[in-house]
Amino acid sequence: MSNTYGYVGKIARINLTTGEITTIPTEKYAADYIGGREICNRIFWENAKPGTGAFDPENMLIYMTGPTTATGIPTGGRSVFTGISPASYPEQYVWSGIGGWLGAELKFAGFDGFIIEGRAEKPTYIYIEDGDIQLLPADGLWGLLVHPTQKKLEEIHGRKVKSMVIGPAGENLMRNASITTSNDSVAAKGGFGAVFGSKNLKAVSVLGTGAVYPVDIKKLFELRLKMANPAMRPSPVKLEPTHGMDGNEIPVEGGWLRGQVACSHGCNQHCNRLMMNMKSAFSDERINQVEKCVGIFAYGYKEDCSWSPIQNFETSKNHFLPCKMLSMESPEPDFSDPYAPELFKQVRGDIVDFWKPDFDKGSVMMDMCNEYGIDKWDVIVWFMTWLSMCKKEGLLEDMDFGMEVDVENEEFVKYFLDMITYRRGKYGPIFAEGMARAVRTLGKEKYGDSIYHGRYSQMIGQRLDLPVSLEAAWGHSFHWQGRGFEGSIYKAGWLAHTLELMTSTRDIMTVAHFHDDYSNYLEYKDDPYHSKKLVESVIFNILKAETKDTVTCCEWQSPDIYWKDMEAEMLNAAAGTDLTGDDLEHQAMRSFLMFRAILIRNFGRTRKMEVEAVFPAITIPDTFGEVATWEEFNDLVDIYYDALGWDRETGWPTREVYEKYGLSDIADELEALGKLPN
Amino acid sequence: MEKEEGRTFGRHIAQSPMEYSLCAGCTTCEIVCTLTHDGLVSPSYNRIFVDRGTRSMIHTILSCQHCSDHPCYNACPKKDEAMRIDENGIVYVDEENCIGCGLCAKACVFEPSRINMVKSPDRKKRKAKKCDMCRNDPEGPACVRWCPVKCLAVTGGTLPWEEDKKDE
Repeated sequence: MSNTYGYVGKIARINLTTGEITTIPTEKYAADYIGGREICNRIFWENAKPGTGAFDPENMLIYMTGPTTATGIPTGGRSVFTGISPASYPEQYVWSGIGGWLGAELKFAGFDGFIIEGRAEKPTYIYIEDGDIQLLPADGLWGLLVHPTQKKLEEIHGRKVKSMVIGPAGENLMRNASITTSNDSVAAKGGFGAVFGSKNLKAVSVLGTGAVYPVDIKKLFELRLKMANPAMRPSPVKLEPTHGMDGNEIPVEGGWLRGQVACSHGCNQHCNRLMMNMKSAFSDERINQVEKCVGIFAYGYKEDCSWSPIQNFETSKNHFLPCKMLSMESPEPDFSDPYAPELFKQVRGDIVDFWKPDFDKGSVMMDMCNEYGIDKWDVIVWFMTWLSMCKKEGLLEDMDFGMEVDVENEEFVKYFLDMITYRRGKYGPIFAEGMARAVRTLGKEKYGDSIYHGRYSQMIGQRLDLPVSLEAAWGHSFHWQGRGFEGSIYKAGWLAHTLELMTSTRDIMTVAHFHDDYSNYLEYKDDPYHSKKLVESVIFNILKAETKDTVTCCEWQSPDIYWKDMEAEMLNAAAGTDLTGDDLEHQAMRSFLMFRAILIRNFGRTRKMEVEAVFPAITIPDTFGEVATWEEFNDLVDIYYDALGWDRETGWPTREVYEKYGLSDIADELEALGKLPN
Repeated sequence: MEKEEGRTFGRHIAQSPMEYSLCAGCTTCEIVCTLTHDGLVSPSYNRIFVDRGTRSMIHTILSCQHCSDHPCYNACPKKDEAMRIDENGIVYVDEENCIGCGLCAKACVFEPSRINMVKSPDRKKRKAKKCDMCRNDPEGPACVRWCPVKCLAVTGGTLPWEEDKKDE
C-alpha cells in the first residue's frame, strides 16, 4: 500500500454493466492534480464523451477523497462527487461535496476514490472491504427509506460499516435526489441520487481496517487547535423555548432539545444542529434530525433572515467562520474596530409571507426530505415557495393536484412530497423533473415569471416584485444571493455571487460563498461594475473553493482570508509537501481551467450562454430596489474575463492561459475542435 | 474503583451525560489515540471506540474499563511480557512481545471487545491494542485532552459533570 501524497494508493473503477472492476494508481493523478475535485476534473476530461446524458449508463460518477482525508486534520473527512447532473438545467458537469465517515473508511479499505459507470441489470449495491469490491443484490434494500437502508446495511455488514445510500427519490429518478451518509450528511447539489437510481445502484458500503499515515503529526495537532479556533468546551444539550428568528420565531410548547454534532471524520467543530425528539412523517416514534441553514425556513418563512455586512466583508479584528453559526459560538464583536458598527449593522430580510411558523410541520418536511433523499434546498426554497406564491396569485386554479394546495397544511406537504418522489398522479412526473423543468413544461411565462405581490422590503418600506419561481440559474434556486428574499446583501456582494454563479454549473453558495476584506469593499462599493478589485476578490473566492474541494476541507472553515496558507498547511501536514497558499492558488486555477474546458468541450459553454443564464435573476430588485443593467453587468464580465485571460467574445480561455497552467494537451484538443479563441 | 454487576473497575475513560456535553461523533478520540500511540490513523489501532447511533445521531463512547480482575491479562499466554501491569495497576500491552494471538480481546468481558486487533497478513504485525490511559504521557489521556466537546474524563475523582453535585 502506497502512502504517497496522503493517499493509500488506488482508485477503483467499477463498471455496473459488465461487472468489471479495475484500479488506477492514485499516483497517476495525485502528483499533478492533488486530490478531490481537481482529480475528478482530470478523470472526467480524459474519459467523458460529449453528448452523454445524466441518466445514460456512460455517465460516470467520480468520487474522490483528498490528501487530508482520514488523517485527523480537521474537515479532511470532506470528499466530493462529480458527474453529469440531472438537476442542472441544462444537464452539465457538476460537483457535490459530502461529509460523513465514508471517505475515511474508504481509505482504510485501501481506496482513495472510485468511479462508477454503466448500469446494473438489477438493483445492486457496492460493498467494499479491505481491497475487495463486490456488487451485491439490493433486493431487500430497494424501496426502503434512507435511514432504514442504512440500518439494514448495518445488520448485514456490522455496525462499523459506513454507507452512502439513496432513498425512493433517487430510485424514481427524481432530479433533485441526494445521496446520504452518516449524521445526515448529503451530496445534494447535482441530483446525483437520481444518477445512482439510473444505474440501479442503491448504496455504497465500506468497511476497512487499514491505516493512513499523515506525515507531520506535530503540525497536525497544531492545526487541530488553530483551525477555526475550536471552542474545546462542553457542548450540552439545551432545552430551547423557541425556534426561528427574524419574524419566524415560534414558541415551542415544552421547548425543544438542541444538540450539536460534527459532519465528518475528525472535525474539530460541531456545526450541525441536532434537533432531538422531533415529529416524524412516518411514525409516532419521535426522531432526531440535523438542521443546517436551510432548515430554518422549513419551520417558518414569513420573512427572510436578516443579513449583516460581516457575513461577506470582514476585518482582521472582526471575522468569523460559518461553522460558528449554528453552534452559536460566534465571537463577540470587537468594537475597538472602527468599522464594527457598519459590519454588524442589521439589514432586515424582506417580508415574503410564504408560510407561517409551524414547528411540527417543519419537522415533517425535514424528515421527508431526509428519508426520501431529496435536496432540502429545492423543496423548501423552491417547490414550497412556488406553491405558496402561485396559490396566492390564483395561478393554480386550473390545476387539480388531487388535494387542495396549502403549504401550511402538514398533510398537503406530505401529499406533495409523496407525489414528486413516487411520480404519482398527473403532476408527480412533471415536478419530479425539478422545478426548472416543471415550470417550462407548464409554461414559463405564467408559472415562472408571473409576479407575486406579497413581497415587502423592510429597508425601503415598499412592495417589490418577485417572480413566483425562485430560479437563479442552471436549474438551481436562489441561495443567499442578495435579493432581499434570499439574503439582503449589498450590491457588490450580489454581483460577486453572480459572477461566481455565471462560470459555474450549480448553486455555488455552499462552497464559493464570497468573502472579502472590508477595505476592499470600501474601494469598490460605489462602482462595483467597473472594479478590478472586485473581480480579483471573486477569482480569489473561486480558487479557494477549488482548493478546499481538492485538499479536501470544509466550506464552513475555509476560506479564512486572514490565514491564506491554511489549506496549504493542511496539505503539507498530511502529505509532506512544501507548498504555499500561492502554490495552491496556481493549482486551483488548473482545476478551474479543466472545469472550464469540460464545459466548453462537452456542454457548449460560451459567454452568451452564461451571461444570459444569470442575468435575469439580477433584474429582480434587491431589498433596496436596485437591479443590474445589461450594459453595466457586461462591463463587469469584460473585466472578469480580462483578469482570467479569457476571450471577451466567446468566454473561452486562450492557449496561452492553458499552457501557463501546464494544460497544453487540453488546449490542443480544444483547438482541434475549434474551441480556442481566434 | 467503580463497581458494576459484581465487577470492579480501575480508573478509566468515561463519557459525560448529554446534559453536560453531547458527543459530536467526530471520532477525534479514536484518531488522537492512534496518532499519539502509533503515528497513524486506523480503525484497527484505536483503543477507544465511537459506537455510532446511525439513526439517532447519539453516539456512545466505548472504552476499556480497566477491570480490577483483568481477564485480558489473565488470558495472555505471554503474561508479564506481552501484557503487563504497571505500578499503578494499569494493564498495558508491550507490543514488542505481543504475538497477536487475540486471546486478550476474546477474554474482554465487554461486547464489543474493548481490545482492538491489528489485522495484517504479516503475523508479526498483528498486535493487540488496549487502552493504557496514556500512561507515559504526563498530560494524561490524549482522547480526554483533545475531545473538542470535552465529553470525556478520567474516573477516580469527581468527574467534571459531577462538580455541581459535589456540594449537595
